[in-house]
Amino acid sequence: MARKYREIGKAGWGYTAITTVVGLIYFFPVLWIILTAFKTRTDALAVPPKLFFTPTFDNFVSVFYRSSITTGTSQATDMALYFFNSIFIAGVSVTAALIVGTLAAYAFSRYPLRGNDTYLFIILTTRMLPPIVVIIPIFLMFRLSGLAGSYWGIILLYTAFNIPFSVWLVKSFFDELNPEIEDAARMDGASERRVFFRFCIPQILAGLSATFVFGLILTWNEFLFALLLTGVETRTVPVAMARTMGGEVGVDYGLLAAIVTLFLIPIFFVTFLLQNQLLRGVTFGTVKK
Amino acid sequence: MSELKVSNLRREFGDVVALEDMSFDVAEGEYFCLLGPSSSGKTTTLRAIAGLEELSNGRVEFGGKNVTTAPVQGRGMSMIFQTFALYPHMTVRANLAHPLIRDGQDSSTVKKRVEEVAELLRVTHTLNRKTTTLSGGEQQRVAIGRAIVRQPKLLLLDEPLTNLDAKLRHEMRAEFKRLHRELGMTMLYATPDQLEALTMGERVGVIQDGKVVAVGTPRDLYQMPEDLYVAQMVGSPPINFLETTASADNQVSLPFLPGPVAAQGVGSGQPVTLGLRPHDIELAQDGSSRSARFKAKIHLTEPLGDVTVIDVETQNATMKMVLREEVAARFSVGQDIEVAFDPSDLHVFDSNTGSRLGPGASQ
Repeated sequence: MARKYREIGKAGWGYTAITTVVGLIYFFPVLWIILTAFKTRTDALAVPPKLFFTPTFDNFVSVFYRSSITTGTSQATDMALYFFNSIFIAGVSVTAALIVGTLAAYAFSRYPLRGNDTYLFIILTTRMLPPIVVIIPIFLMFRLSGLAGSYWGIILLYTAFNIPFSVWLVKSFFDELNPEIEDAARMDGASERRVFFRFCIPQILAGLSATFVFGLILTWNEFLFALLLTGVETRTVPVAMARTMGGEVGVDYGLLAAIVTLFLIPIFFVTFLLQNQLLRGVTFGTVKK
Repeated sequence: MSELKVSNLRREFGDVVALEDMSFDVAEGEYFCLLGPSSSGKTTTLRAIAGLEELSNGRVEFGGKNVTTAPVQGRGMSMIFQTFALYPHMTVRANLAHPLIRDGQDSSTVKKRVEEVAELLRVTHTLNRKTTTLSGGEQQRVAIGRAIVRQPKLLLLDEPLTNLDAKLRHEMRAEFKRLHRELGMTMLYATPDQLEALTMGERVGVIQDGKVVAVGTPRDLYQMPEDLYVAQMVGSPPINFLETTASADNQVSLPFLPGPVAAQGVGSGQPVTLGLRPHDIELAQDGSSRSARFKAKIHLTEPLGDVTVIDVETQNATMKMVLREEVAARFSVGQDIEVAFDPSDLHVFDSNTGSRLGPGASQ
């Protein structure tokens, strides 16, 4: 009787099980936060922790409406604004950095300067400094120039922070392309602009998506600069989150978990949307063209 | 009148000289092959003609006009790249249509031409597929289609068969000849493979280190190679070389031959290299015109099906010869064999300069 062989390229049950366990270990903190968001204050603080409980949406409601302890009336919080700020600031700065980075990467890749690598290295050095080192001069510069607390200030800063990363990553995608394809397009009569937009960009869409998502995650979660350089009107969610800790009633873990859960949704959504592109993006160049 | 005139092209990459002094002419409607080993400057030459390469010196004339510094776009040339360079994000139809659209053709003309070309190259069934899903042969044909769809005056081909398997290469060689006959365009074909150059080219330019060292018909290059380099570039299996010294004027002796043989154009005491084509060596037969006979030992056999290449060893010389399969079957490795050649088939070269001596010498 013929022995049944496992299909090549398909993992056996053993490997699948191990991967599932490792995956669950990784996912556990996220799961814990999401569960906590649905717990009452008592459940959230229970020892030993409760795995089974009656879920409640109170935490989510109180993210946006909170009853004042003194008057007892329900009041809208500013959390909706902070969510808008986070989306707006991260979205604009990552997009801007991607555009600038892509143009620069194309130039670095296709029209190398004398000492090209040195320039690339210099660009990267800005990311070598720990943020805490530069925060004071930047804070002073922002205060003097009036950028502190404004949308444009923080967007400018995040854009500048994302550019080195974008240049490096996108350049590697351009480097992987077959330059003969661009030459073929030129010989067909395509202008330089057309070669870039219609022939190069479409080939690296996956890479651009990956770069966008990585940049977005970094910017979305950024705390230190947001804390010091945003004002009341431009505060982002991570800063607002930190401010819910403490306060008159101690740490409200349920509320905090609810904010975090909501905070995860947009990034989850974007990643999910670009999932197919992302996988191709991160494995770019590892397979034969 | 020559359609393409390339003179004194020079191109450097840092310290490396890719093209040193590249000059040749291609006549209108001609199928011209550039033959040279890898990194001898074939690709750079084609790219320079197409305008994709900046030159430090030289001149490219095409259709009577100087196009040396003209933009790439609108030169009226097409190129088939070694990697095919199909647009991976587009369908076959869009790939084929692209040159026509850029030329500003209206959509009905584009549609008609694309379908004609697809028909000609038998890729009609792939028109709506992405190029990445095609087989090697289909990709190659689409690449040809994209290059000929606008009916260019000059078609540049950069080792277009290198990425194909042997059977397809054979088919495509015939295909290129057919296309050349049917479309009548000028073709400039670069290849490292002497078989491709000899079978397809009407004329062949042999390249060495960034310059053309010999131009001629395949027959001329094979029968009267101008120097040692051309002799070893052309012909398969490769020519045998024997180093010796002229024993007297117009005479050389070889250690394994009983007496001296005639070699026109050599002076006494001159060091010479004798070239002998494997096809010019045969089994010794009484009464044959091949008068130079010698005994040798079979060192190696390479059966190719219809013929067998045999390496024979005689006093400090190893030579290749070709025998028909049924003849070769009688011999095995290690056996002694008596073979013969006609001294007039010897190509005589000056060992110092490498240039040809005797009949057909350029001086």
